[in-house]
Amino acid sequence: MSQYLPILVMIVLAALFGGISLVMAKLLNPSRPTAAQTAPYECGIVEQTESPERFPVRFYLVAMIFIVFDIEIIFLYPFTTVYGRLGTFGLLAVIEFAVAVFASFLYLIANGALDWGPAKQSRKGDLGIDSARTSTSTIRRVGLEGREAA
Amino acid sequence: MIAVDPLLEAGGWSSIWITLLKVVVAFGLLLVSVIAMVWFERKLHADFSNRLGPRVAGPFGTLQTIADGMKLIFKADLLPSKADKVVFRLAPFLSLVPAFLTFVVVPVGGDFTDGGSGVVKIAGNSTLLQVADPQIGILFVLAMSSVAVYGIMLAGWSSGSKYPLLGSVRASAQMVSYEAALGLSLLCVLLNSGNLSTNSIVASQSNWNWNLWATGIVPFVVFLLAATAEMNRPPFDLVEAEQELVGGFHTEYSSFRFAMFYLAEFMNVITVSAVIATLFLGGPIGPNFGTTGWLAQYVFPVLWFFLKVLGLMIMFVLFRTTLPRLRYDQLMDLGWKLMIPLSLGWFLLLVGFKIGDDRGWSPFAVGVVGLVGLAIGGGLLSIAIRTSQARSAEHKVGA
Repeated sequence: MSQYLPILVMIVLAALFGGISLVMAKLLNPSRPTAAQTAPYECGIVEQTESPERFPVRFYLVAMIFIVFDIEIIFLYPFTTVYGRLGTFGLLAVIEFAVAVFASFLYLIANGALDWGPAKQSRKGDLGIDSARTSTSTIRRVGLEGREAA
Repeated sequence: MIAVDPLLEAGGWSSIWITLLKVVVAFGLLLVSVIAMVWFERKLHADFSNRLGPRVAGPFGTLQTIADGMKLIFKADLLPSKADKVVFRLAPFLSLVPAFLTFVVVPVGGDFTDGGSGVVKIAGNSTLLQVADPQIGILFVLAMSSVAVYGIMLAGWSSGSKYPLLGSVRASAQMVSYEAALGLSLLCVLLNSGNLSTNSIVASQSNWNWNLWATGIVPFVVFLLAATAEMNRPPFDLVEAEQELVGGFHTEYSSFRFAMFYLAEFMNVITVSAVIATLFLGGPIGPNFGTTGWLAQYVFPVLWFFLKVLGLMIMFVLFRTTLPRLRYDQLMDLGWKLMIPLSLGWFLLLVGFKIGDDRGWSPFAVGVVGLVGLAIGGGLLSIAIRTSQARSAEHKVGA
């Protein structure tokens, strides 16, 4: 385990660097936050909805598929160090393993598990924009009184 | 051969002092190179967009990074009212500490010519010119890159705000996807070295047997692109696509907490360049012009290592200046539908060659069978992709 001693020292040093800098910042910076400053950032718009706690399920799907591949990679790492002793049996076993994972991967792709956004074919023609919404109806002009006529 | 640092096996007080010295030197080196890297990237980026870049603080603006750091320390540190306070404070550390730690396993010098083990003498103690050489070596690098995902994910989630959450969810999906490609392309390197320790990976590349061509160019290209995506660097910087997400996961961060993310981001560029140089470009290996002693152990290896890392860093800056950002579906398609199947197939092909070499099979026959296998796999993949496209088009028309 002594080989990990430098790593431990590095963890302590890096954490200390961050910690000391934060303490320094705490002592040196102003700390009188206003309500507007601590409100969630919305590009200047007053918050209308509750801050989100849910996200699209597709991201969850990606994480699930990643686990399948990660397990495959974990099994392949030891294989790379002992493949010479396993010989032909090892080659066949790894190919069989890869084919099994690849088959399930093909199933996922064919089912559209890794597709994002709208299909390109459906975008033609109908862009879903209301013709009533134009630059004059959506933008409210201010400070132009008396200048419109000119 | 079990490669470990002989210094730490010997034990005793001198080994502890030398270990501390190495850690402090590596730590200082990282901080200085981050400062240099930020300056260098801004200057080069400015040249490419016909601007001057930083030029006021210090000679040629070299002290600009320090000035920015000082400024950030004096800025108000805001804690958003809806934030999860504990996690919000923890997240920058989860980003910064792994960035420091990855560099620990990178060998920066030592004589590796003609199967040399890279052992050098410091004050009469044999040791390696790397901070630590654990036997898990390269797995440690992968582990640290996984911990960095937590830093980004928790930073976005704990902010209690829209844009950070979206940015961090995007980031974790992207980093997780490209980590699979990263791991698969790494397997080809391990096949050549037969060992996970970074020291033996470098030793296996002596006499110009660099993994760049020993594994074929494909794993290098996949690793380079996957590492760029893993660091959230352009053209894969959807995490902080400012037109869509303001600042991404660190929108709510200010003052030194923001600086910690910023520091970690640039430090990752340096460590990833160093890791790529170690894995594919032979690390400190290079011609030492027949010299021996300290010249062959310190000067030339460190010089070659530095030049390789600098070349890769220039490459990353060029990626940023020249390539437009990908769209999210393009990013995911590139990762899942091209890079992961390609690196898996390439790995199987290399395994075939290696085992065929041991058994005396004809390399030509192995190559033909392997390529036919890869072609069948590619064909099936393209059928699957087309099926899903047809399905989603059908679904959209029906709806």
